[in-house]
Amino acid sequence: MPRYLVERTFPDGLVIPPTEQGAAACRTVVGNNAEELVTWVHSYVTPDKLRTFCVYDGPSPEAIRKAARRNGLPVDQIIEVSVLDPYFYR
Amino acid sequence: MIELLERDQSLAQFDSVLGLVATGTGRTVLVGGEAGIGKTSLVEQFTERHRSDARVLWGGCEALFTPRPLGPLHDIAGQMQSDLLTLLESDAPRTRIFGTMLTELQVSGKPTILVIEDVHWADEATLDLIKFLGRRIQRTKALLALTYRDDEVGPRHPLRSILGELPGGSVTRIVLTALSEMAVETLARRAKRSAEGIHATTGGNPFFVTEVLASDQRGVPATVRDAVLTRASRLSEAARRMLDMAAVIGYRVDSWLMNATAGSDPEAVDELVSRGMLRLHGGELAFRHELARQAILEALSPGTSRALHQAVLAALLTASAGRDEPGRVAYHAEAAGDAAAVSQYAPVAARRATAFGAHREAAAQFSRALRFGRSLTSLEHAALLEDFARESILIDQIGDAIEALSEANRIFVAEGERVKEGLNLTNQSRALVRAGRNAEAEESSRRGIEVLESQPPTRELAFAYSIQSYMRMLNRDTAEAIDWGEKAIAMAERFAHQETIVNAYTSIGAALVVSGDVEKGRASLEKGVHLATVAGFDTLVALAYSNLGSAFGERYLFKDAEEYLRTGMAYATDRDLDQSLLYMLAWRALVHLYRGRWSEAGEDALAVSRRGASAISQIMALVALGRLRARRGDPEVKSALDQALQLAAQTETLQRLAPVRAARAEAAWLAGDHAATREEATAAFDLAMRHKHDWFVGELAYWLWRAGELSAAPAIAAEPFRLEIQGEWRAAADAWERLGCPYEQARALGDGDVDAQRTALALFEGLGARPAAEMVRRSLRAQGIRDIPRGPRAVTRSNPAGLSARELEVLSLLGEGLQNAEIASRLFLSAKTIDHHVSAILAKLSARSRAEAVAAAYRSGIISQSKAAPGNN
Repeated sequence: MPRYLVERTFPDGLVIPPTEQGAAACRTVVGNNAEELVTWVHSYVTPDKLRTFCVYDGPSPEAIRKAARRNGLPVDQIIEVSVLDPYFYR
Repeated sequence: MIELLERDQSLAQFDSVLGLVATGTGRTVLVGGEAGIGKTSLVEQFTERHRSDARVLWGGCEALFTPRPLGPLHDIAGQMQSDLLTLLESDAPRTRIFGTMLTELQVSGKPTILVIEDVHWADEATLDLIKFLGRRIQRTKALLALTYRDDEVGPRHPLRSILGELPGGSVTRIVLTALSEMAVETLARRAKRSAEGIHATTGGNPFFVTEVLASDQRGVPATVRDAVLTRASRLSEAARRMLDMAAVIGYRVDSWLMNATAGSDPEAVDELVSRGMLRLHGGELAFRHELARQAILEALSPGTSRALHQAVLAALLTASAGRDEPGRVAYHAEAAGDAAAVSQYAPVAARRATAFGAHREAAAQFSRALRFGRSLTSLEHAALLEDFARESILIDQIGDAIEALSEANRIFVAEGERVKEGLNLTNQSRALVRAGRNAEAEESSRRGIEVLESQPPTRELAFAYSIQSYMRMLNRDTAEAIDWGEKAIAMAERFAHQETIVNAYTSIGAALVVSGDVEKGRASLEKGVHLATVAGFDTLVALAYSNLGSAFGERYLFKDAEEYLRTGMAYATDRDLDQSLLYMLAWRALVHLYRGRWSEAGEDALAVSRRGASAISQIMALVALGRLRARRGDPEVKSALDQALQLAAQTETLQRLAPVRAARAEAAWLAGDHAATREEATAAFDLAMRHKHDWFVGELAYWLWRAGELSAAPAIAAEPFRLEIQGEWRAAADAWERLGCPYEQARALGDGDVDAQRTALALFEGLGARPAAEMVRRSLRAQGIRDIPRGPRAVTRSNPAGLSARELEVLSLLGEGLQNAEIASRLFLSAKTIDHHVSAILAKLSARSRAEAVAAAYRSGIISQSKAAPGNN
């Protein structure tokens, strides 16, 4: 399954509190993703919390977008990526 | 009843599904697992528990090389008080048979449990029945239980796509797993044996475990086969002889056949039942498991096997079973090496299979007849070859069909059968088109007409004309398509050959619409629909609708196209005409894309590629997908459009090459590769010019102009493209808006002044067209404009529901409390179009009413920010 980097912008900042509420929000996202066979690997968030770079596995760019729509998450850009490990070449 | 170990959970699943069914929503239950895992035992246990509160109907598929068409339905009909059996025996049309079965499942008071076992062996007609019932099961009061060996259903097995396409919400899957070590120990204890090594060898397969425990041997036999044979070796000689005969007869052992072949021997039968080799199932003898029968069958020496088959064949022929079960007779005849009986019964079985729509089985029976047809005359041989070819085409074995047709053709030439030769050449041309070998098809069609014209007029000649018309239409040679079509109609009317008349009207109509004579073409196509409906030619009705949808789509008349696709898809869905349905679905993806409904476009396009669609459907779906990804700036544009090109190149026709090349030119342009844009557009431009196709010429010329290769628009280029090339961006944008193409509209505005470019940017942002939006933004910056919205506008960010620009507009007017008719006049659109937008908005916002949608939109801030949405000009 291809891997994608998904860029998102949150004008009001993305805040997920480290509470049960925050955990529940993440579980909802994971559940909605599963319906589209999409897996959220992990995300990088800018210090101002306005932008995120999320690593996803999924069957197609369309599935990534559909999962985002289900979750009410914005999508700026989807890029297909693969892993490059700097220590692989030693 | 024997207690089943470790099956409580599966039984509970079954029970809860039946609970739902009893309330009036039918469901399908798929019971999967390897051979011997206990699928039948589970279903038997379940149905036993519900003998009083449900009606149980039971049918099974048999492991024959060519199973009897609708065999399971024969079993089931025998258990019902209905005229289904009469219908089956009188070879009634399949639609009536299927319809009767469905009604039967709807009217019953108690719920029905309808079991079809071993569907991995199902004949094609039974697979169609499963598809038919499975897709409509929710409207019945029935539980359709299907058992199958999941490890024998590979990716290309016909069952796979059928199970995959059952409506998601109506299916429950039960997967049976092996018994645990504990369960095996329990069973061993009951049999008063040591459990040592049994679980390891059998892997916990219940049938294997039972055989091992019954083989009363010290060690554990290494395979199921060894276990069965060890057990059988303890039988008396008479019982063993009878068991061998039973294995040849089949999984279910007809008692009359057993008596006729092995003689009546109640003692031997008792021994077989008490030793657990056979069992009584509804008053008839049957093997305990197909695995046991296979083991016995494989242990027979070739000589014995042949002699036993001869005995069965003789008994079947004496009982004149040839009339009722010709396929069974042909099977035993082949195994008995009786060429004369094969030649007599295989073709009968094949024709019976054809009548039921079991084309895979029909082709296999014709092929069997051909293998044994030494005593045939050459013309009989040719007729069989043509029958085989016809069935092979229906199951997409085009290569085999063409080979058989060529062989038959050589016979017709040698025998001087000119009319048959001409018809054969025409059929070859049709098969060659299906295989994408258009040049050879052309040659074959021309020769067919030549041969037939050398004879007095015939219906065959009329048919040959209609095929030539069809091929000219596909190739977009309008005038010729019409000429040949009119000749076909004139001649077909002399012979009252309805099918040819329908074909010709359809081809003429499609050719006219595509060439721009829209109203005349519409009339001709609708006449095709009407005549085909009256004559009951379902596939031709669906074909005419798909021609209407695609021809109007090819001319960017998307509103008409959408309407025809909607009607045609409903028609094809009701009749399970999947290939037509998929082609229309691919076109609907394109229509959605052009009309700015991008999420829907993606859904439709992916649905086509998920389901095994034909090459032409895939090409159109891939074009939609490739353009969608390119316009969004999403990855995997190349993989979609490379595959599209590969498929289109094989067809060598404008109809496929032009859309693929244009899509690739667009993708290259958006990626900033102008050399590639030029190359792609050039690749199909001359072909489009030769065929004078205004829309293809228009778009390809547009890309050549973009790439700096062309300065003036060809006179025949379609208007909106011509206007763009001439620099009349405002008129072009208006034209695109009238056609309902927001992306193209924005693209034209992007060539305009600063205000127009701002509108273009907003439209692009609304659609989610990142690369095009970025280009406009760059252009605005280059002109020194400072206050350009940066990055995706708020409208997309707060618009997670993915509403299109037009939908946002409609939603905002809904928020002002306007009615549909008022919105329609405000936006210069028809009320019907507004209806459509409103339902799309409700669906996207998961709202049940307009008020709810407006409330949701306010809550999430969609409305307040979309007031400034573009398009209100």
